[in-house]
Amino acid sequence: MEFNIDDLPVLFPYPRIYPEQYAYMVDLKKTLDAGGNCVLEMPSGTGKTVTLLSLIVAYQQYYPEHRKLIYCSRTMSEIEKALVELRALMKFRAERLGHEEEFRGLGLTSRKNLCLHPSVKREKSGAIVDARCRSLTAGFVKEKREKGENVETCVYHDNLDLLEPHNLIPNGIWTLDGLLRYGEEKKQCPYFTARRMMEYCNVIIYSYHYLLDPKIAERVSKNLSKDCIVVFDEAHNIDNVCIESLSTDITQDSLMRATRGAQNLEAKINEMKDSDQEKLQSEYEKLVEGLKGLDEGRQEDAFMANPTLPDDLLKEAVPGNIRRAEHFVAFLRRFIEYLKTRMKVRQVISETPPSFLAHLKEYTFIEKKPLRFCAERLTSLVRTLELTNIEDYRPLQEVATFATLVATYEKGFLLILEPYESDTAKTPNPVLHFTCLDAAIAIKPVFDRFSSVIITSGTISPLEMYPKMLNFSTVVQESYSMTLARRSFLPMIVTRGSDQASISTSFQVRNEPSVVRNYGNLLTEFARMTPDGMVVFFPSYLYMESIISMWQGMGILDEVWKHKLILVETPDAQETSLALETYRTACCNGRGAVLLCVARGKVSEGIDFDHQYGRTVLCIGVPFQYTESRILKARLEFLRETYRIRENDFLSFDAMRHAAQCLGRVLRGKDDYGVMVLADRRFMKKRHQLPKWINQALLDANTNLSTDMAVGAARAFLKQMAQPFSAKDQEGVSIWGMKDLKRHQEKMAEDLIVELRTQREDEERERKRREEEERRRLEEERDRVSDYEMDEDDEAEMMALDARIG
Amino acid sequence: MARPLDPLGFEDEMCPVCKSRKYLNPDIVFVFNPECYHSMCLNCANRLFNDGPNQCPHAGCNKTLRRKGFRSAFFGDLAVEREVDIRRRVAAVFNQVEEDFETLQDYNNYLQMVEDLTFELVNGTDERRRQAEAQLQAWEAEHRQDIERNKKAGREADEMSRKRLAAERDAARQRRIEAIKEAEEEKRERVRSREMELDNLAKGITTTTEPATKVQLKRRGQVNRVAEAAPNPAASAMATGASEVERLSIRGLKEKPKAPAPQGPYDPFGGMDFAPSRYKLHGGLTHPLIEKYRLDRQHVAGGYSFDDFAARALYEAFAGLGVFVEDEKEAGSASGIGLSQETTMAAGIAAVDDADRMDLD
Repeated sequence: MEFNIDDLPVLFPYPRIYPEQYAYMVDLKKTLDAGGNCVLEMPSGTGKTVTLLSLIVAYQQYYPEHRKLIYCSRTMSEIEKALVELRALMKFRAERLGHEEEFRGLGLTSRKNLCLHPSVKREKSGAIVDARCRSLTAGFVKEKREKGENVETCVYHDNLDLLEPHNLIPNGIWTLDGLLRYGEEKKQCPYFTARRMMEYCNVIIYSYHYLLDPKIAERVSKNLSKDCIVVFDEAHNIDNVCIESLSTDITQDSLMRATRGAQNLEAKINEMKDSDQEKLQSEYEKLVEGLKGLDEGRQEDAFMANPTLPDDLLKEAVPGNIRRAEHFVAFLRRFIEYLKTRMKVRQVISETPPSFLAHLKEYTFIEKKPLRFCAERLTSLVRTLELTNIEDYRPLQEVATFATLVATYEKGFLLILEPYESDTAKTPNPVLHFTCLDAAIAIKPVFDRFSSVIITSGTISPLEMYPKMLNFSTVVQESYSMTLARRSFLPMIVTRGSDQASISTSFQVRNEPSVVRNYGNLLTEFARMTPDGMVVFFPSYLYMESIISMWQGMGILDEVWKHKLILVETPDAQETSLALETYRTACCNGRGAVLLCVARGKVSEGIDFDHQYGRTVLCIGVPFQYTESRILKARLEFLRETYRIRENDFLSFDAMRHAAQCLGRVLRGKDDYGVMVLADRRFMKKRHQLPKWINQALLDANTNLSTDMAVGAARAFLKQMAQPFSAKDQEGVSIWGMKDLKRHQEKMAEDLIVELRTQREDEERERKRREEEERRRLEEERDRVSDYEMDEDDEAEMMALDARIG
Repeated sequence: MARPLDPLGFEDEMCPVCKSRKYLNPDIVFVFNPECYHSMCLNCANRLFNDGPNQCPHAGCNKTLRRKGFRSAFFGDLAVEREVDIRRRVAAVFNQVEEDFETLQDYNNYLQMVEDLTFELVNGTDERRRQAEAQLQAWEAEHRQDIERNKKAGREADEMSRKRLAAERDAARQRRIEAIKEAEEEKRERVRSREMELDNLAKGITTTTEPATKVQLKRRGQVNRVAEAAPNPAASAMATGASEVERLSIRGLKEKPKAPAPQGPYDPFGGMDFAPSRYKLHGGLTHPLIEKYRLDRQHVAGGYSFDDFAARALYEAFAGLGVFVEDEKEAGSASGIGLSQETTMAAGIAAVDDADRMDLD
């Protein structure tokens, strides 16, 4: 369908539109016009992606600036989905407009997914693929080849050089699959095609990390212009992504391998000194000049990039004491040895970067400044030495990254040394966590650089938490409710078992037999009643294991088994995917199944349980984080001190966003239906932290239920859902055709007119009032003035007048 | 030289004298003597050197060691331990900071010089090591004053930063305690109000629950607002303390030594420009009155230049421009300068101004 928002013509690839989609577009346009950031929450399964894309593409094509769209999503399947949507949209536009627009859309993912090289693509680990690819495609390999040396190169990559550099791939939308196929056909490398064409395309779809992780962002995304529109989809976890991208863990093993890396490096340097002194010398001279000289050499094949942010990027010359290669290696070795010594301590230590640096300086005479240059210097050295087996140097790179980070940021980071894995462990296994506490650090350059950043998700409540945590301001913050022609989902809060004893997974009571039994009963009842699939979420793997074994002892699992197959998620990805496959089969063939999984696991984040795959979701317990973790404690303290977010507020917010995420798994569209059960006493108080669309559907009558009441309500609900329901009934209410949309727009326009009119009337009234006041004031003044100005002559005259009258 | 660390046996070191291992004797302590950096276990060291100086038991090492010199290592790798010992010595002498240098490049060159020297001391041959040692001593003798001054300044800066860190830590602890207290207070309050409610119910006083919760909510909101308005007395105190500490620091204030600016050729007029600014002088200006003299040899023979005449005439014609007599009068009457004098002065000023502008252009 085709309609206008203000003056912007929007082509929407479906004949009908949801009301919330329209509202979303209006707000989105407002944000883009104003050139600011926004946080939008739209219920899952209401076509968020296509709404976003169709509005932004319309915006791009209509206005002469042609602002580029950078669409960031989380997983590869989501990227692929968005690309398919985009392709359908562009096809629709071409049909409508009668001509193909000049438009290019690309997706980017890791080398592992986009490699075509016959032997490299068979590698399992992404890191190895990266390393091997670099050894075949790096700049110096090509140089060697040109010199006539016999080195192996990748023919797919070499073919790219034969093409025009800005036209490696024709216009159109290229899904990842399509890109692979095109690459195979033309014998060109899909990964580098996408990388190099990023500057020349209108839409880029890739993972968060390409923009947020400073190690990658600087390399991949630095050429993007300032007026790009940046969208973070499924952004409810964006703060954790930010934090992870700047945190590193160092173990004893990685230090050991880093030492070996340093030794290898030293050997290589000595080798080169004997054979090719000039190269080292020329590198040295460049370093004397400063890092700018190296920039030319910095290409897409760089070994690693500086982990600090672009604005902190060091444009200065490298300090004199690490200019020479051998000095630098000695420097690294000293630093590694120091870390090893620190690791020997057998108690937990947490310290800030300044105190770490002070201690470091005292014992090893390593200053802060050369430490900051560590990562950059290592990159330069690796390039000079033309190392190909880069995989061996990864631990060394980690250490260098850590060095650079610790020397760059004073605030917002913490070093935590944990000598034992758990409190009860006897054998030490020290880990040095360098954790970022401030999510705003990693995302700051994104906000600084791009004028419009859109953060959106199905569950991103409470909205005001995100601007606070990520430290930015918004133009629009909006949460949309879901318009429904009938109640198609039933959220409930169950607080008591059938025996009226309250149920909760708080630490004190979680293992009490009565609580466990009540949860078991809840599970059995719902398993009996729910058609097809049912998903159960637990707060942690640990609790899931213990409760399952207790249920086994109580015979509850046998009872569930009568109605449904039982499948369990494990931390192992392969096992889980097998379980999921079985689950799907069981749901499709009518046997039905229960999937027991964890609220923070893989299933809760990325897997959709639409239609028969999920008719009931049961959330057992509030999925709080493991609060004894030192890293979490540090972060809580930081949040309290810096952003004034209280510990409990944050924990509860975090738990509820995960709970909401779990609940959202079962409802993936307007023709879908499902029961959502929150089973914990503590949910009663946290009800308002649920997303607006869930909270609105949660009636007061459905809170604080006991198991039997919940079963009754669910049964009635399911019965109602089983009634025939034609798509016609939804029209005009939850689905708009062209007519409904027109009506709505007219109404909006009328409202606007009315509003403007009342506003003007108000203004008019105000103006009149003010004028009146003014007039009165003037009059009064005049009276007063004339009072005073009456001089004696007048007085005499008046008296005479009076006398005459008298 | 030092024994390279076995990369796999992180914990399993062996005493080369008595061959006991950490694995067998977990309490074993290794010591070494900075004379030769050979390690052995504490027992062996005590046994061998109890009766005064003795030779190092390592094969091929003929240093004489004393019991007193032994200490335990900070680093696992004794090569690094030795390097750090050397660095300590070097750092005590070469303690210049960036502010002591004119440019960053000079500083970097200095750093590299130091590093080269250290590298020689650590890894060089005997001959080179001696040279480096001599260089070190020469530098120390030459820069004694600077070294002393920097040492003092460095100590002060260290002290400052230590104080600041301690203050920050204290403040953080204080705030944490306060936050906990606040939370507890709130909890108590909640319990109290609830009890009160129950009491009221028991006594039969009919109060709806709403007002109580409302009051409490309001209270909580207030606490939050207060907390937001005035972040924390401790925090602000700390901030001022920190700024005080910073203000006291004088390290950065010292003027960097600057090379004298290069001197140009001597200019007797001090940069004054005599080129006319309001007009441009073209050659060949003429006037009917002087036209006949131009060809008159008598006039030309004396060296009279008609261009000079034109230049002077134009200068005089333009001299008064940019001077406003009204303004000048006022100023003049105030300061009591005669009008004529004043006009020429103003013209002069204008000319100089223009000249300045021209220079800038």
